[in-house]
Amino acid sequence: MASAFRDPFNPDHRLSSGCSCGEHASQADHDQAAALGGTDDLAARLAETAIVKAVFGADPARRAFLRTVGTSTALAALSQFFPLAAAREAMAQAPGPLEKKDLKIGFIPITCATPIIMAHPMGFYSKNGLNAEVVRTAGWAVIRDKTLNKEYDAAHMLSPMPLAITMGAGSNPIPYTMPAVENINGQAITLAVKHKDKNDPKQWKGFKFAVPFDYSMHNYLLRYYLAEAGLDPDTDVQIRAVPPPEMVANLRADNIDGFLAPDPVNQRAVYDGVGFIHILSKAIWDGHPCCAFAASREFVTTMPNTYQALLKSIIEATAFATKAENRKQIAEVIAGQNYLNQPVTVVEQVLTGTYADGLGNVKRDANRIDFDPFPYQSMAIWILTQMKRWGQIKGDVNYKQVAEQVFLATDATKLMREAGLTPPAMSSKKHVIMGKEFDPAKPDEYIASFRIKRS
Amino acid sequence: MRSLALRSALLSAAIFLLFIGIWQVSSMSGGGGSQVVDDEYARLVGAAAATGQKTPFPSPSEVGAKLWQHLSDPFYVRGTNDMGIGIQLAYSIARVAGGYLLAAAFAIPVGFLIGMSPLLYGALNPYIQILRPISPLAWMPLALYTIKDSSISSIFVIFICSVWPMLINTAFGVASVRREWTNVARTLEVGPLRTAFRVILPAAAPTIMTGMRISIGIAWLVIVAAEMLVGGTGIGYFVWNEWNNLSLSSILVAILSIGLVGMALDQGLARLTRLVTYQE
Amino acid sequence: MSEKPFISIEGIAKRFGAQVVFEDVHFGVRQGEFVALIGHSGCGKTTILNVLAGLDQPDSGAVLVGNDAISGPSLDRAVIFQSHALLPWLSAIGNISFAVRSRWPKWDGEAVRSHCQRYIDLVGLTGAETKRPAQLSGGMKQRVGIARALAIHPKMLLMDEPFSALDALTRGVLQDEVLRLCAATHQTVFMITHDVDEAILLADRIVLMTNGPYAKVAEIVVNTLPRERSRHDVHKHPHYYRIRNHIVDFLVERSRRFDEDRPRDYDPMHPPEVRPGLGEPPPPAPLRAVT
Repeated sequence: MASAFRDPFNPDHRLSSGCSCGEHASQADHDQAAALGGTDDLAARLAETAIVKAVFGADPARRAFLRTVGTSTALAALSQFFPLAAAREAMAQAPGPLEKKDLKIGFIPITCATPIIMAHPMGFYSKNGLNAEVVRTAGWAVIRDKTLNKEYDAAHMLSPMPLAITMGAGSNPIPYTMPAVENINGQAITLAVKHKDKNDPKQWKGFKFAVPFDYSMHNYLLRYYLAEAGLDPDTDVQIRAVPPPEMVANLRADNIDGFLAPDPVNQRAVYDGVGFIHILSKAIWDGHPCCAFAASREFVTTMPNTYQALLKSIIEATAFATKAENRKQIAEVIAGQNYLNQPVTVVEQVLTGTYADGLGNVKRDANRIDFDPFPYQSMAIWILTQMKRWGQIKGDVNYKQVAEQVFLATDATKLMREAGLTPPAMSSKKHVIMGKEFDPAKPDEYIASFRIKRS
Repeated sequence: MRSLALRSALLSAAIFLLFIGIWQVSSMSGGGGSQVVDDEYARLVGAAAATGQKTPFPSPSEVGAKLWQHLSDPFYVRGTNDMGIGIQLAYSIARVAGGYLLAAAFAIPVGFLIGMSPLLYGALNPYIQILRPISPLAWMPLALYTIKDSSISSIFVIFICSVWPMLINTAFGVASVRREWTNVARTLEVGPLRTAFRVILPAAAPTIMTGMRISIGIAWLVIVAAEMLVGGTGIGYFVWNEWNNLSLSSILVAILSIGLVGMALDQGLARLTRLVTYQE
Repeated sequence: MSEKPFISIEGIAKRFGAQVVFEDVHFGVRQGEFVALIGHSGCGKTTILNVLAGLDQPDSGAVLVGNDAISGPSLDRAVIFQSHALLPWLSAIGNISFAVRSRWPKWDGEAVRSHCQRYIDLVGLTGAETKRPAQLSGGMKQRVGIARALAIHPKMLLMDEPFSALDALTRGVLQDEVLRLCAATHQTVFMITHDVDEAILLADRIVLMTNGPYAKVAEIVVNTLPRERSRHDVHKHPHYYRIRNHIVDFLVERSRRFDEDRPRDYDPMHPPEVRPGLGEPPPPAPLRAVT
């Protein structure tokens, strides 16, 4: 379960990783709290988490400290140094009148956008006083341009995109922010049915692959996966950007051999008998970020209250979506014509993790897709290392600075600054990708450790 | 000869029925087959996949059902992203009309000046020749970048694609007005404005209308592609959206409606052209 | 020329590049007079008419109306074009009213309409008012052209081979019409033609032009036939064949060799006026062997 929802003052839980929810004493309590309407304090907890993490850094120290002094004492002690209550309040409710109520939010019709989409029909936006319109958009370049043009106030993006926009890769550099990750996992490598016997990527030399966008986790994960199997993604195979709606049609037409794509594209290929799911992306990196909720820095700074309300809606929707028992209901709501425009069963298989794999097997993996709003800056740094690794960005990169600017770990950082305090560096976490550890403190060494690279 | 029209109509209908018949038969032969997977799996996939096949091309009866579904409620609005085919067509027509009328408002006066002045003609011709063959969609990223509004960008793309035939035809039509007609106006001491409107404009009108007819055809071709690119609303977006859903039946319905609207626009302008055409 | 001409052509010349089409052209048209200009193709006949109409400028010389040089086209000088030049998108009456409205812009619709109708009737087109030019025969089209020119009450009518595109029968009928109309209105007319019979039938004086390049006015034939003529009996008049033979002789022989055989006293500013109908001897025969 998402770590952002965990009580940072519970000594029995690790903050940085893991899957079980530590927020409540019992599962029943948790369910109740996480259900629609029970998430009011989530944002506040997010602020606390950030501060506690910032103060104690590594988990062992925090645990030792809390065991020694007890939770309430710890809170009291911390309150002397940090205006926790103020931060909590600031995060918990929109502090002032909304600058703008009618918002347009762009999305691409894929399940990654689940929180952004479902917040509309399920009333998360309206609950926070927003009259948001969610607009289905034709492609990543269009969603980028429409957001840059301010036709959209905020948008669903691939998590590398705000980084790329900020760095000026593929567009003019414009300060961009990513206040929340939308989903983790939820992608898959799908191959054409004719390749059903080629389960080892070493057999894929000469394959043509599609990814949704050059600046996408899909691209980086596929390249990583191929490179680990000894294939050079630039010379041994072809990888091209194909908009998700065109992927199944291209697979069917034999224009491509496979793709690493967001759902429901993978499941749709199975549904139409065109492809099979080779692996889920969580097999490459369990807990990888995929899509993001992004807004321009200008929007964040000129409309802070609106931004807070919007972020709160998304975080609440995300929390609702993390619950396995809500997934079926969500699938029904977002599969409709106004949103994903897909057969309900396809969306349901993606969200519930009980799915047909295209080879005649029914597989069950409840974590096929999960939702976690917390934008770890370490994720940003990993993405930057891959941009560097594959030559998308050149020269020296100030990984930490870019990551901090774009992946707004929580608004707590901002609130602390406003309070005149110097926020310590956010604790990033180490990630494990295909068994290999990534230390965000040593990005250059990490890049250097790969045999196949462009830098 | 009255029966010629009748016979053509009969032949038309026969060709249509034959085509539909072959289509129906060929789409039926692909179907069927027994389930090759267990029931649980079969519930999770489409009917074709359950029998170990790919989802086939829709049959005419499926397309017909889809057509009826779209036609029975063409103007519903159930949300930002879910509107009836009639509404989508209306959006496209409105965009085409906007860009096209802007183009006409620009191209006809400017074409007039170019046609009247060999100096301007010589000076502007190289630009026109370079700009004319550019695919209008190539302007789209540029338009989005500079105009910063996708719907105005679509209108701009329509403008830029429909402006050239009108501009060139107007200039050509004006430049090739017969000398004796302008001489008539001169000997009657007709002022320049009256000459422009009463002699040159009617003389060049058939050529101008031909340009306008070419333009409306191009504009209608381009709007579909532009909307597929930019999305939001419009029949092009409808096609994109149904592609996203892999619903070939809906795409076929959209194709049919695109063809019908395109024909209506062309016929409308053909009628207007007939009004201004004169026989020498 | 005894009386002051209504319009006088004063030494005009036209060049195309180094090529001189005509030069030193002098002649005049008096009030109420019908002057025809005859010459071979290439002598610049149409250009002279266009200069008179104000549609073209001479490279030197001037055309004077009264004491003023003309500077451009004028409603006072109506043109009947060889190709009728009707606006094809307007009806017969529409073409006429276009001209009438140009002449009298302040007239109301009814005044314009009745005025146009009068001229439609005058040229015998009653019933064909609403027809487009394409629906009219060649002769009818030229009738519309004549009506258009007459309807604006010009001080002078300029006709550029008005009947050359018509078949012989129609041409004859129209010639009679023009003769009748001009006689009735004492219209001042200048006409270009290459048809000798037409010139003799219609004109009071016939300007003979030599061949181009360097075309000039060789002489002016005074038509001594009585003014009341008709196509059917004009050739029975004793003057007729004398005049005709004189002109044909000029066109066949002298127009070509004028510069070689030019009379010693030839002065382009005052081209000789001859009256062959009276049996005057032709200009002094050149001293040369008959070949």
